[in-house]
This record gives sequence, C-alpha cells and structure tokens, in this order.
Amino acid sequence: MRPNRKLITTALLALLSCAAHAEGLLIKNATVQTLTAQGELQNTDVLIENGRIKAIGKGIQSAGVERTIDGKGKVVTPGIMAVFNQIGIREIDALENTVDGVSQNEAFGASFSLAEVFNPYSTLVPHNRIHGVTRTLVTPYPGHDLFAGQATVFSLSGEHTPILKRTAAIYAQFGERGAAMAGGSRAAALMQLDKALDDAREYAENRDAIRRGEWRELSLPSDDLEALLDLIDGKIPLVVGVERASDIVALLRLARKQDIRLVIAGGAEAWMVAEQLAKAKVPVILDPMDNIPGSFESLGQRANNSALLHKAGVEVIFTGPGFQSSHNAFLVRQAAGNAVANGMPYEAALKAFTQNPARIFGVASDYGRIAPGMNAELVVWDGDPLEVTTEPVQVIIDGKAVTMVSRATRLRDRYMDITNQKEPAYRN
Amino acid sequence: MNTRFSSKAGLLLLVTGLLAACGEHEQGEQPEEGAAFASSYEAPLSQPVLLTNATILDGEGGLLENASLLLQDGKIAGIGQDLGEPEEGTRVIDAKGKWITPGIIDAHSHLGVYPAPGVATSADGNEMTKPVTADVWAEHSVWPQDPQFALALAAGVTSMQILPGSANLIGGRSVTLKNKYGRSVMDMKFPGAPYGLKMACGENPKRVYGEKGGPMTRMGNVAGYRAAWIEAAAYKKSWDDYQASLDEELGGEPPTRDLRLETLAGVLSGNILVHNHCYRADEMAVMLEVAKEFGYKITAFHHAVEAYKIADLLAENDVCAALWADWWGFKQEAYDSVRENVAMVDAAGACAIVHSDSAVGIQHLNQEAAKSMAAGRKAGMGVGPERAIQWITLNPAKALGIAEQTGSLVTGKMADVAVWNGNPFSVYSKVDRVYIDGALAYDRSNPARQPHSDFDLGILDPEGERP
Repeated sequence: MRPNRKLITTALLALLSCAAHAEGLLIKNATVQTLTAQGELQNTDVLIENGRIKAIGKGIQSAGVERTIDGKGKVVTPGIMAVFNQIGIREIDALENTVDGVSQNEAFGASFSLAEVFNPYSTLVPHNRIHGVTRTLVTPYPGHDLFAGQATVFSLSGEHTPILKRTAAIYAQFGERGAAMAGGSRAAALMQLDKALDDAREYAENRDAIRRGEWRELSLPSDDLEALLDLIDGKIPLVVGVERASDIVALLRLARKQDIRLVIAGGAEAWMVAEQLAKAKVPVILDPMDNIPGSFESLGQRANNSALLHKAGVEVIFTGPGFQSSHNAFLVRQAAGNAVANGMPYEAALKAFTQNPARIFGVASDYGRIAPGMNAELVVWDGDPLEVTTEPVQVIIDGKAVTMVSRATRLRDRYMDITNQKEPAYRN
Repeated sequence: MNTRFSSKAGLLLLVTGLLAACGEHEQGEQPEEGAAFASSYEAPLSQPVLLTNATILDGEGGLLENASLLLQDGKIAGIGQDLGEPEEGTRVIDAKGKWITPGIIDAHSHLGVYPAPGVATSADGNEMTKPVTADVWAEHSVWPQDPQFALALAAGVTSMQILPGSANLIGGRSVTLKNKYGRSVMDMKFPGAPYGLKMACGENPKRVYGEKGGPMTRMGNVAGYRAAWIEAAAYKKSWDDYQASLDEELGGEPPTRDLRLETLAGVLSGNILVHNHCYRADEMAVMLEVAKEFGYKITAFHHAVEAYKIADLLAENDVCAALWADWWGFKQEAYDSVRENVAMVDAAGACAIVHSDSAVGIQHLNQEAAKSMAAGRKAGMGVGPERAIQWITLNPAKALGIAEQTGSLVTGKMADVAVWNGNPFSVYSKVDRVYIDGALAYDRSNPARQPHSDFDLGILDPEGERP
C-alpha cells in the first residue's frame, strides 16, 4: 500500500507546528538586567528556545522564531520570586474554608507541609502572575506550635505539578508570638527550640528504637523530629519570625550552638545587630515599607533597615507589604523601590526579590540570572521594574508567554464603558 | 500671629458667634471657640516664603512649570510664573528641580485611635459594644503622641480624617486634624472642619454582631440604619418644635439631650457629613436609597472596591468614592477589585479619592495615586499627574468639608504645602519640606525641623530619639 501523501504531509506539519510552538521567543533590543557579572545590558536580544534561555546578545536573528517581542524602551528581569506568602493556599482571608495556611492540628508542627494543597486555579495565581510573579515561597502561618511547618517553592505556571522545591525551609517563631506560644516567656520559647533540635539529634541517632517505642518520650512527635533532620544536616535553613535586636542575638547564639542555618524573618531591629548578622552569614527577610514601631519588640523599625543591612554585608530578601503579601505579593516591587529610595543599591534591591531568595532557599540553579542555559522565567516590563507606574508587558514562564488576563482585568473590561447599553451580565 | 491671619480668623469667629447668638440650635456643628471640645489649634508664626523655579501641581488641575509659590501670613499669597519682587523679610528658596503639591490629605485614617505600638491597651478605635454607637467621638480616643503622625508628616500629609472603626452600623463621629503635634486633641483639630459620621455596610457588622443579638444579615444591617434614622428624625423634630416655641416666645422645656441621637440629627440637619464604609456596588446603591428615604446626603463611600461598577450613579448623586489603589481579597466583599477603580470613577465624573486606612499607606499616598494613574493610562484613560494629585488633595478636602480652606494651591487658602525632591508619582521621590499654615513643619535636611512625639524620646537610646 502506497503511503498517503496527504496524511504524511499533515502529520509532518503537525510535528513542525509542535516544534515551533515549543520554542522560539525572541526579545529584541531590550535593557536586560542579567543579575550576573555582566550587569545591565542595553539594546540586547534574548532568545528563548525549549523553555530555556538560548542566547543573549545583539542582532540575534529572528528567523524561525515563533514570536518576537519588541523590547525597545523595555526592561527584562528574572520573574519575581515572592516569599513568605500563601498564594494558592488562601483565597479570601476572612473565609476560613478558603484558607489552608494554618494548622491547629497538634499532630503536626515542623512536619506540617502545604506542598500537596496548592491550588493552581486560585485567582491569586493569575493576579500575581500578570504583575510579574513567576514563583513563590509559600509558608504556613503560625498555628499551635513554635514550628509552623515547612516552606515550599511553587511555580505560578498554572500547571498541576507546580512544586519547585517541596521543603525549602522550616518556619518557627520567637519574640512576642513565640513567647505566647511557649507559655508566656521568651526564655521558654528559646528553651523549647533548643530542646527540639537536641531531640532531633537524639532521634537521628536512635531512630529505630524510638520508632519501636523503646525510648524515652521526646519533646516532639517523631514526624516533627523527622522533619527537623534536614535542619540539623544543614540542608535547609530554619526561618524564625523575630523582630527585637536582643532576640535576634539570642537566636544567633542558638544557631551557632546547634550548628544550623538561620534566616531572620521580620527583623525590625536587625539593623541594630547588622554586623553580627553579617558575620554569621544570616540573611534577613523583611518588608522594606514597614517603618511602623508596631509593637514593643519593633520599636527600632525604620525605613532604611534594608540599606543598613546591605551595607553591613547582610543578604536581604524582600516581601510584599503587610497583610496584602499574598493577594498583592507582586507589590514587592514597590517595596524594593522604596528600599532604593532609602539607600539600597538598585541591583541589590532587584536581587532581593529574585536571586537572593532563590539561592537561600535552594532553587537558584536555573533561575535568578539571565544567562544562556537558565530557565526562561522572565518578565518584560514597560519601564523601570521598581517604579510604581511600571507594569509587565509580557510574563514568560518555562519559555512560554503566559496569558496577561486575570479575573480583575475581565471585571475591568466589563465595566470600562459605564454608558454601555448592553446589560452587564451579557458583556464579556 | 500675624495680623492679617488673626483678623480673618476673628471675623470667622464673630460670624459663628452671631449665628449661635441667634439661638439657632445647630446639632452637630463644631463647637465655637471657648466651648467644650472646641479646636484650640493655632497656626505657628511664620515668615513669608517664596519658593521659585519649581514644577507645581496646584490641585486645581494645573501643572505649572518653572513657577513660584508665595506663602505669607499662613496663606497661599501667590502662585505663577511672575510674582514680582518679594516683600522685605521674605525667605526666597530656589526650588529648581523640585515639585510642589498641596499638602496631602488622607480621607481615611486611624492614626491616634490605633496608635503605635499597636497594643491592646491603646487600641481605641472601635467601640464594638453595640451596633449603633453614634454617641462616641473619635477625638476622645486620639492619642496625640502617636509616633505615626510624624511619619505621615514626613510623607507630606498635612490633614487627615480620623474615623472610628467599621464594626458598627453607625460607629460614631470622626474628627479632622491638622498634622501638627499638640498636647491635646483639641490642639490638633482642624479649625472649622465639620464632623463626619462613620457608617459601615456589609460583612463587618454582620461578623461582629451576628452572634451577639444581630444584625446577622445585610437586611438586618439596613433595618438597623433605618431604625436609627427614624429615632433621629423624631429627636430632631422634638428640638425643632422646641426651637419653634422659642421663636414664637411661647417658652417651654428643652428636650433631654441624647448624644447618640444628637449626632444623627446633626446629619439630618446637614451639619455632619456621612462617611460610609461600603465595598459592594449593590450595597452602595441600597445605602443611597436609605439616604433618600431619610433625606440625608452621603458624602463619601469608603473602601468602595466596586465603585467602578456604579461610577455613573456616584457622579449623579455627587458622592465621593475613597479607594485603595489595589487592596483586595481579605474579605469576600473586597473580591472584585480592579486596579483601574480610581481612574474609572474619576473618568465618570465622580469625586475620586485615594485613601490609606493604614499607617504605612498614609506615607505613600503619592505612590498609591501613581499606581492608580498608571493603571488608568494603560487602560486608555488619559489621566495625568495634574489630575491624579487631586485624588490625594482637593478631592479628600471636598469630602472632609475643608476644600474652602485647603486642598489646593489657590490664593487665600491655608499654606499647606509639600515640596518634593522630584516627581511625586515616582517611587524614588521624597518629601523635602512640609509647610502647614505657612510654617515649616518638616524639613528633611534639618533634624531640628523634624518633630518627634514624646514616645520617641529616649526609647532604645536614652540619649536619642527612636530612629
């Protein structure tokens, strides 16, 4: 039987179009913030193929490229890595049924993980994505235990397997909140953290006997002790919510004694102990727009906290503003702009919501720098990405130009023409 | 105090005094000088200041390049390219490269009633004891030493409305303050600013009272407002009748004062402005019906996340919408937020306001307006900085009933002015100087002109101030 030419042609065409679909995005003549030793590159092209950055340079040919984006007057950066939020985990804060980010279940503390309950269909995903967020470090919020649980890195691609790193850190509390959880004293909280880590070591050395029930009772359930093993092995950091300078110093001592990697979250008064943080190589996660002395443990809160930390050699990571840190996680850009206005160097501010969190939480191997071979997870901005009047013109995840539509843009379009005679419910 | 200023102020007092002397009972009016709770705010002494070569956003829709602004006797005394030779004794400041705007006004703040540190012992903003607490006045909770006032000042904020919280259907009286530290709240009260009444729609009253005797539904909320207005109308009538009997020289006993109803009657008399926390478009429409039923006016809907859906209705009814640039999702009634909300309301011809409701946000109202402006532009609405500045100056002044005195750089208005080191709609720009009533209230380059509350002294560092 002779092969059917028409069928073969169709099949070939289909194959070709598949191939063309999988590759070929060229950004022309943009300003590229590489966040590498190359720094900022002007009038530069970025070629993306098969989900990766294939080439960076001038005059890259567009032949065979599926789509070209005019980058003139535009700026390319890595996508935003939002941190310390609950994108995909909470929909409406005041509706408990839509929030999975806190556990009061006493069976789980350090082992509590949100990795399997991320909802890629949440409206927070496209809302943050069209404004430049491409990945997020999701963290449980404090529940019943000093250890709130495990932080997970997710992609905002909208795909069903969005986990980039299942366990990137363990999150715990100290300071006022930790004290309240430990029975009313910072001292008790510190002793409890210390004891948990001691017990995790004891567990590691005697796991079998403990599992068989032939051992004294330890301070935490075995699942939680198991979860702490990556901490004591130095594979992941312990992130601790803490504000007061003296509390930070106490944690530095604890981390040294227990030989664990520490990350400070909050850090209102971190600038007061910047030298010690730098020496211990302990990074700080903070919201640079928060300059409110909101409690007696954050009396030293100030607008140039991040600049002072950076100057002392402390790595900083930015979060979005306060209670909008999930729904509007993308506002970390505005936070970074304010940090620059208060003395933070520009490139350091860009790194504080891209490369720094990626490196500290172990997902930097193919993200956070614009260089050949890196994953194509990029944003093309219509201006300076730290400026409040700037927006993405295109967000790219895994080499694909993602939709720039969200529920909010749909609502906007429905009501944009308020004099429209067509009934709203029948508009798009 | 200079003579021109004091003579005008004196005239105002005289007029107010005459009205009171007529025997008219004006429920809800600000007390006259010397009466209980009256403003004791005093404009500081100031020498005339001429700022030259600046880019000026005047708050009236104008953008003036290379222009000058003259502050004299606490007032705006001149604005434009050619102001002539300044009087002797005028301080001339070259403001080349600077931008000048009216002082920023926040239509929705809780500074002082929710001061920092945010501890339970000084959280005094929400009288969550019953659904209608029209008898409480926010000014009686204001802690004048709140360190947050100084932070807002450094961001150009010269006036603000302090509101009670939103737990209650009717939460109480607001107060408008000048952002100048005083030893009492009376020292901060904006002279002559009308009182506001805080009302709240939707989820908050339901949540707070649903299991405490109600209301537990939105229809319960509306029944609660209507019941209160029915009482208020009867109370107002009793006073009107008493007044009529006095006018006819029939004499008679005055009705017993009721603080709760006095405030509500003040709204019905048009003396107190209604500020209604209301997110959803359909609820705002219902609230306009309640206002129609009882013959009062809603001055502004606050947090009106869905204002864009009824922007035409707001314009028709001359109601302001006080909005966030982008907050959403913390409650279901805040689910339909669009970033073009402010620009869409503005484009429909309604009075659009960018408000903060936040001690951080009040320090970035320029940036919040910038985001709204950019979102509007990108959606095809041609809104520029000369328009967007009104969202945080003149329009909130209108909503607070102080637009005759402040909110734009017009000759004769209070010299409430912010000088920026660049375009105020850039994230990188900062306030260099703030003038309140013509006096230098804040100077970024001079620590001696940066106020500190008592709280900031000797804390963390016994010899210093909180940073």
